[in-house]
Amino acid sequence: MTIVSGRLSGAGRVAHRRATLNVLLDRENVFGWLMMALPLLFLAALVGYPFIYGMLLSLQHRPVAQPGTFVGLKNFAADWRDPIFWQVTVNTFVYTGAATLLKMVGGLCLAVAMNQHFRMKNLVRALLLLPFIVPTVLSTVAWMWMLDPAFSVVNRLLVALGWPKPGPSWLGDPALAMISIIIINTWRGLPFYGITLLAGLQTVPPELYEAATIDGAGGWQRFRFVTLPLLRPIILIVTLFSVIFTFADFQLVYVLTHGGPQNATNLFATYAFDIAMGAGQLGLGASIALAMLPALAALIVALTLYMRRS
Amino acid sequence: MTQPAASPSTSRRRFLKLAAGGTAAALSATRPVRAQSKTITILHESSFIKPFDEYVQNVLAPAYEKQTGIKVNYEVTSVGSLPTRISTIAETGSGADITMNGLLQVIQFGEKYLDVGDVAEELGKAQGGWYEAGKEAVLVNDKWKAIPFSNIGQLMNWRTDWFAEVGVKKFPDTWEELYDVGKKLKAKDHPFGFELGHGFGDNHGWLYPLLWSYGGAEVAPDGKTVVIDSAETARAVDFARKFFKDTMLADVLGWTDVSNNKAWMAEQISCTNNAESILWFAKREFPEIGKVTDQAMNPAGPKGRFHLLNSISHSIFSFSPVREEARTFMRWLMEPKQLGGWYAVAESYYQPLLHAYDSAPMWDIEPRNRPYRDALASAHLPGWPAPASRQLAESVAKYVVVDMFAKACAGASTPEVIKNAEAQLRDIYRSA
Repeated sequence: MTIVSGRLSGAGRVAHRRATLNVLLDRENVFGWLMMALPLLFLAALVGYPFIYGMLLSLQHRPVAQPGTFVGLKNFAADWRDPIFWQVTVNTFVYTGAATLLKMVGGLCLAVAMNQHFRMKNLVRALLLLPFIVPTVLSTVAWMWMLDPAFSVVNRLLVALGWPKPGPSWLGDPALAMISIIIINTWRGLPFYGITLLAGLQTVPPELYEAATIDGAGGWQRFRFVTLPLLRPIILIVTLFSVIFTFADFQLVYVLTHGGPQNATNLFATYAFDIAMGAGQLGLGASIALAMLPALAALIVALTLYMRRS
Repeated sequence: MTQPAASPSTSRRRFLKLAAGGTAAALSATRPVRAQSKTITILHESSFIKPFDEYVQNVLAPAYEKQTGIKVNYEVTSVGSLPTRISTIAETGSGADITMNGLLQVIQFGEKYLDVGDVAEELGKAQGGWYEAGKEAVLVNDKWKAIPFSNIGQLMNWRTDWFAEVGVKKFPDTWEELYDVGKKLKAKDHPFGFELGHGFGDNHGWLYPLLWSYGGAEVAPDGKTVVIDSAETARAVDFARKFFKDTMLADVLGWTDVSNNKAWMAEQISCTNNAESILWFAKREFPEIGKVTDQAMNPAGPKGRFHLLNSISHSIFSFSPVREEARTFMRWLMEPKQLGGWYAVAESYYQPLLHAYDSAPMWDIEPRNRPYRDALASAHLPGWPAPASRQLAESVAKYVVVDMFAKACAGASTPEVIKNAEAQLRDIYRSA
C-alpha cells in the first residue's frame, strides 16, 4: 500500500512539474527567448567567436604554429608605420566609394528600365542576375582574358578605332588596374542593386503617379518627387549591404591582380590574407583586417541613424 | 477540456519536443567505426604535371598498402592553397600526417614538424649526397625539419626561331647581352615578358637572381642587418628599368604567374623566366611552338650567375598519431625504386636534390631540360645569403624586392625605390 501511494505521489510530482513547465512555456517572454536561443547561439558561435578571437589575435605577436605573446597595440603601431597599409587604406576607400556610387546610379537606372512593360520582360530580368550568380572566381577569369592585351576584345576594338597597338595595359598600369577592378565589381554588383530596387519600385502605388500626372508632373518630376523619396529606405539598405561587401572584397582582386601592380589594387582583405597566411603573421594580419572595422561601424551607425530619422 | 490540436501552447510544446528530440538524435548518431588498418594521409599541392599525382594514387600508394597493410591517402590541394592548408592543420593539430612544403613553409611551421635528420642523412649517404640547395630550405637551427624532394627551377625560356632572326643561335651569357638581343627583338615586334606583378613565383624567379648577380642582397648573412641600400642594388635596379623599357611589354607590371604562360602560347613574347611547364605544355598542346622553345640558365651579372631555389620537401607533423609509420613510409618513398619512378613520370619538372640522379635517364627524355639540373649548384632561397627566416617570409609576402624593381620600371627613381624598400625591410627585420 505504501509502495503504491509512494508511486502515486511520484506521478503526481511529475504531473505538477509538467504543469509548471506548461505555464512557463505559455508566457510570451519565456517562449520568445527560447525561440531566440538557438539563433543567438548560432550567431555567437559563428560570428561572435571568430570576431572576438580576431580581436585577441590582433593584440598578440602570433606567428603561425607558435604560441602567441600579448603585445598590446604593437601590431597596430606596425601597421601605422607600414606604407603599404596606408596605400591599402586609400585603395579600399577609393574602390568602395567609386564602385558603390556606380552601382547605385546604375542599379537605379536598371530598376527603372526593368519596371517598364516590354516583351520577354521576365526572361530579361532573369538574365540580368547572371553576373551575380556566376561564381566570382569564374567571372573574374573571364575578365582576365577580356583585359589581356593579346586577347582583349576591348583593346582590339580600341586598336581598330585607331589607338596605338597593343592598346592600354588594363592590369599593368596602376590607375587603369584600379579602374578595371572597380568596373568588374560594378558589373558584378549591379544586378543586386537593380533587382532589389525593382522590388521597391513595384511597391509604389500607381495612384501616386496618376495623381502626380494629373497635377502636371512630367517624367523626371514623377521620378524625382514620387519614386525617389519612396525608394529612399531601400536604397539606403542596399547601399549599406553593398558597402560592406565591397569594402571586404577579396576574390576579385586575389584572382585578377593579387594586389598588383605595386600594390595599386591591394585591399584590406587581400593584404590581411597575405600577411596572415603568406607571411605567417596571424596577429599582424588580424590587425589589418580589424582596421576595416571603425570605418564600417561608423558608416553603419550613420546610415542607421539617418534611416531612423527619416 | 481543450482540444489538444487547437491549443497554440500545446503545439509550441510539441514543436519544442520535436526540436529537442531531433537535436538529441543528431548528436547521438553513431560515429563511424575506426578503421582497423592504419592510414597515412599525405597532403600535396596539385601538380601541373597530371601524371605526377596519378603516379602516387595509382602506383605508389597501392604498392605500399600491399607491402605493409598501411593505407596511404594522397590528398591534393589546389595550387596556391598549400600554405593555408598547412596553417589549418598545424593550428588544429589534425588533417594530415605528412605534408609537402613550398620554399618558405619549413621555416614557418618547423616547430610542428618532426626532426627527420636520421632519414635524410641515410638518404644522403645512400644516394650520392645532397645538393647544398636541398639543405638550404629544410635545415632549421641545424635540424632537418623536412626531407628535400626536388627543385622546380625557374630558368630562361626563349624562342630559338626569333632569336635566330636577329642572328642569335646560343642564349646570351650575360644580362647586358640579353638586353641587346631583347632590344632588337622588341623592334621586330617580339618583345620579352618577365613578370613584375604580384604572382607567387615568376617574379621572384628572375628578380632575386638579377639582384644577386649584380652583387646586391636584401639582408646580410646574419639575417638581421638590412643591406639593400648599396651601389650594387642600384646597378641592378638601373638595369631592370632599361631592360623593362626597351625589351618588354608594358603589361608585365600587372602580370601574375599564369600570364607569361598565356603570352607564350599566344606567341606574344620571345623570352621569359618560368619553370619547365612552358615547354611541357607547348610540346603537348602547341607542338609548333614546342619545337622552337628552348631553355637556358639565367644570364650572369658582374658578380656571377644565380638562380632562385624553388624547392619542395616533405615534413611529418609531430602531432600525428602515425608519425613513426610516416617516417618509415618516407624512408620507403625515397628509395631509388619509388623515387626514380616518381621523378620520371614528370620528365624533369621536379629536379632531384640528390646527386645520384645527376646522370639519371630522366635527363635524357628531354635534353632541353638539362640546364635545370646545372642551375641547382647556384640556386638559393630569396633571402640569401641569410638563412630562411620568418622575416624573410614577411618580406616575400609584402613583395618588397619585387615592388622595388617594379616601381623603378614604372618610372620611379632608383634612390627612391631603394630607400622605400630599405625602410620596409628595416621594419620587418627589426624583430630578428
